[in-house]
Amino acid sequence: MSDQAISAGGRAWVRGVRDAIPLLGGYIPVAISFGLIANQAGFSSWEAIIISLVIYAGASQFLFVGMVASGAPLWLVVVMTLLINARHLVYAPNLAPWLTGNRWWFWLMHGLTDQVFALAHTRLPALPSSERLGWFTGAMLLAWFSWVGGTALGAFAGQELTGRWPLLNDVMPFALPALFVVLLAPRFTSSLWAAALGCAIVVALLFAANGLPNMAIPVAALLGAAVFFVMQSNTRAEV
Amino acid sequence: MAGELWVAVMVAAAGTLLMRLLPLVWMQRRLAREDSQGATAAMPRWLGVLGPVMIAAMLGASLVPAAGTLNAWVATAVGGCVTLLVWWKTKSLGWPVVWGVVAFGVVRFLNFVVI
Repeated sequence: MSDQAISAGGRAWVRGVRDAIPLLGGYIPVAISFGLIANQAGFSSWEAIIISLVIYAGASQFLFVGMVASGAPLWLVVVMTLLINARHLVYAPNLAPWLTGNRWWFWLMHGLTDQVFALAHTRLPALPSSERLGWFTGAMLLAWFSWVGGTALGAFAGQELTGRWPLLNDVMPFALPALFVVLLAPRFTSSLWAAALGCAIVVALLFAANGLPNMAIPVAALLGAAVFFVMQSNTRAEV
Repeated sequence: MAGELWVAVMVAAAGTLLMRLLPLVWMQRRLAREDSQGATAAMPRWLGVLGPVMIAAMLGASLVPAAGTLNAWVATAVGGCVTLLVWWKTKSLGWPVVWGVVAFGVVRFLNFVVI
């Protein structure tokens, strides 16, 4: 690898870390909550940290410790954990056209969470192919370490932290919707896309507001896609 | 943690990784096959639509504030508008998020001070 390529990869790595900083506002408070809840469910601090390290999927981790604590059969715990993560099936194929042939990508898929996907889906196409691996590595590692670090904080000192700074715990998670707004705004390029994206936003909002956050994303995405294709076929029929 | 619980953690971890990884292998093979046949390698249309609508769905789900009070909803609306406005002006990634969080925090803080 030439010095120039190494230098470009290094810069890309830093840029990936910088672009992923907004994720911390959403990840750390939720990870602190996970560490705290896992402790309360009977898991030791180190067990909570290992779960965050190897499963690394927010909603399903909460479900995992909750179901184990309630005494559910372990096979059901695993099945439910995987079912909640089923939406991840469509993330990597969406990024595939921008990924290079490097084998490291396979291992980096461990860090392909909802938020990292949203970030990568917007940023990777804009980067030269020589910088994509470095960029994704930086972004993915920062997000992963913040999740694991937040879990450790929650497990070891969660009650004290949330008691001392309740407002911070309340405010920082807004970084996630703010980031999604920024990632999505450039995609409102036509009435067709506006209708599809608007439908997905409203449906997910309604599901989540009514206590169904895990169903919100897949159902809203399918309805948004349906709106897109129905409107597109109607437009073609009129022409 | 008991032995069988460790097995459950590892199976859940491996399953989650495979769900993120195997579709990539499938898609890369498909693109390579189309490329070798001389066709223009392209994603299926439905997949190209599903990506952005998934992000839209994540936005919708994340807009519901944890507090669930009127003030939290107002703070969400104000924070969202400020984020959009700063994005419109700067077309950057970081500053709109920073100002959106600040605006959200100011509205939430006013609620704490007033009440």
